[in-house]
Amino acid sequence: MTFNDRIFGILLLVLAVAYGWGASQFPEPFGGAEAIGPETFPYLLAAVLGLSSLYLIVRPDPDNAWPWSRTGVELLIAMVVLVFYAALLEPLGFIVSTALAVGTLCWRMGAAPLRAFATGAISGVVVFLLFSYALDLSLPLGLLSFLEVS
Amino acid sequence: METLGFLIDGFGVALAPHNLMFGLMGAFLGTLIGALPGLGPANGVAILIPLAFTLGLAPETALIMLTAVYAGAMYGGRISSILLNIPGDEPAMMTCLDGYPMAQQGKAAEALAISAVASFMGSLIATIGLILLAPLLADFALTFGPAEYFALFLLAFATLGGITGKNPMKTVVAACLGLMISTVGIDNTGVQRFTFGVLELYEGVDFILAIVGLFAISELLFFIEEKAGGGKEKMSVNKLELSWADIRGIMPSSIRGGILGFIAGVLPGAGASLGSFIGYTLEKKVVGKKGYFGKGDPRGVAGPEAGNNGASSGALVPMLTLGVPGSGTTAVLLALLISLNITPGPLMFTQNADMVWGVIAALLIGNFLLLVLNIPLVGIFVKLLSVPPMYLLPIVTMIAFVGIYSISNTTFDLYFMVAFGIAGYILRKLEIPLVPIILGLLLGPEMEKNLRHALDIADGDWTILWNSGLAVGLWVFAALGLILPYIVGPILRRRMRAAEAAAGSEGD
Repeated sequence: MTFNDRIFGILLLVLAVAYGWGASQFPEPFGGAEAIGPETFPYLLAAVLGLSSLYLIVRPDPDNAWPWSRTGVELLIAMVVLVFYAALLEPLGFIVSTALAVGTLCWRMGAAPLRAFATGAISGVVVFLLFSYALDLSLPLGLLSFLEVS
Repeated sequence: METLGFLIDGFGVALAPHNLMFGLMGAFLGTLIGALPGLGPANGVAILIPLAFTLGLAPETALIMLTAVYAGAMYGGRISSILLNIPGDEPAMMTCLDGYPMAQQGKAAEALAISAVASFMGSLIATIGLILLAPLLADFALTFGPAEYFALFLLAFATLGGITGKNPMKTVVAACLGLMISTVGIDNTGVQRFTFGVLELYEGVDFILAIVGLFAISELLFFIEEKAGGGKEKMSVNKLELSWADIRGIMPSSIRGGILGFIAGVLPGAGASLGSFIGYTLEKKVVGKKGYFGKGDPRGVAGPEAGNNGASSGALVPMLTLGVPGSGTTAVLLALLISLNITPGPLMFTQNADMVWGVIAALLIGNFLLLVLNIPLVGIFVKLLSVPPMYLLPIVTMIAFVGIYSISNTTFDLYFMVAFGIAGYILRKLEIPLVPIILGLLLGPEMEKNLRHALDIADGDWTILWNSGLAVGLWVFAALGLILPYIVGPILRRRMRAAEAAAGSEGD
């Protein structure tokens, strides 16, 4: 099967065209156009990417299997956890969000739930203390801000 | 000799107490990173860069620490090759061939000690080579004009896949993607390019978060897919019984391996994997019938291990003198230089002489530290091998998050990093190499600047790009770098596989 490379090649070709078109829309730099402007290098890149994506479409490599079914779900869970970790870092605070994110990841990777969340909580607290006291950098406390001493 | 004077100054920098302390810390962390499953050298250095910033280290201290991490990771990689038959990174593959059989015969401690000595010899030889060669190359590089630099960057991309690379076209695709990302932001004529009005994109995409995302986050996703969270069973290491005669026995192999490795490291497109492969095959040829390669011959551990470490120090030569890295990890070190506001390349040897020589001296000192650290502490590192990835990788991910967050204190960067991580996973599935993307991001601005200079000088005449003999030579080599993998690649790859298979069947 050679679908991966062909589909990816088509996507890249679209990207190359869009990128090249985007470059053609740049306003003329202040002081008038010169022999080489902000769009020259992008034009080159668009051309090279276009040609190499054509090559991928014409001569694709054999596919690597995508993980469907359960592993795929696990992967999606991990991706969602990462996005939520980024989103909740500030509102929930570093320690709570780390305990949840690291805990969930450990758990989904096969650790026993209790040990997984314990690992998450301990690593969150340790890194937080390390950052606040040893490195003097503040990480958000969020929900736990009532613990703030200073 | 001028070089000697610089080197002595360099020792002055490297031996300053705090630099020495961070060097030692880096060497220790590096070995840890190399030994831990699922954390290659490029990965490890990438995660530590943001932390080096948040620590507020002086540029030379940060650079010394991360170079020590780099050297340490190369040492650490061999531990899992020998004990688990799993190469920590690709160049360590050849160490498995004789290292693992030695461990099976109950000589794990000897194998580890021998490989430590061989690594030391390899790095030592290559560092001396670096000291001799780098200033010459830097002087030569001063004659480069913008057109030559443009061609040189092309050469760097073309040879990045290496002669043994699979599909050079995918390297081209990856390089283009990286260069495209590097054009995002306000260019030096003040024109906004591809910012889509998003304020955070005005200054372009920070390559550090791209690197951390592409390497560290995608690694996590890969481990989840392979369900490799359980880790490996504990290995026990016997008590070390190594005589001086044993060490003398492997010396010639180490020296040969180190020299070969250094050459392979300096040459574009060869890289550490080829270095250790040549090191191993040469040993087999030289020792001939007297050896028992593939069945636990100590020389089969020493040769490739010295070659691998020699190559990794050799790879620093083009990175320091030309600003053109030849491997993933040196690309990450280049990222560090750029973010410290140091322009790598020939001028660095004159403008930042104390720093360059400080780093080189730190490499020498780091080598001794690593040797001293590695033989008695090997037990600790071995214990770490049994840390299951299901705990390790989430924690590494958390450290990546903290590092990136602490640079800018915005969650926008974190989303970006996660996006790069997911993209990195998909690209790896498609066998698109990630290193050219990083290199494109790093070199993009310089490459465009040189192109503009060259064309401005020639008033828009494109032939300026291949107008000098030097430039033509670079173009030819770049073309060869893309064409050779199609011709020589399959043969070399088959040989490497054959060597591996043969050793595997004999070893069992």
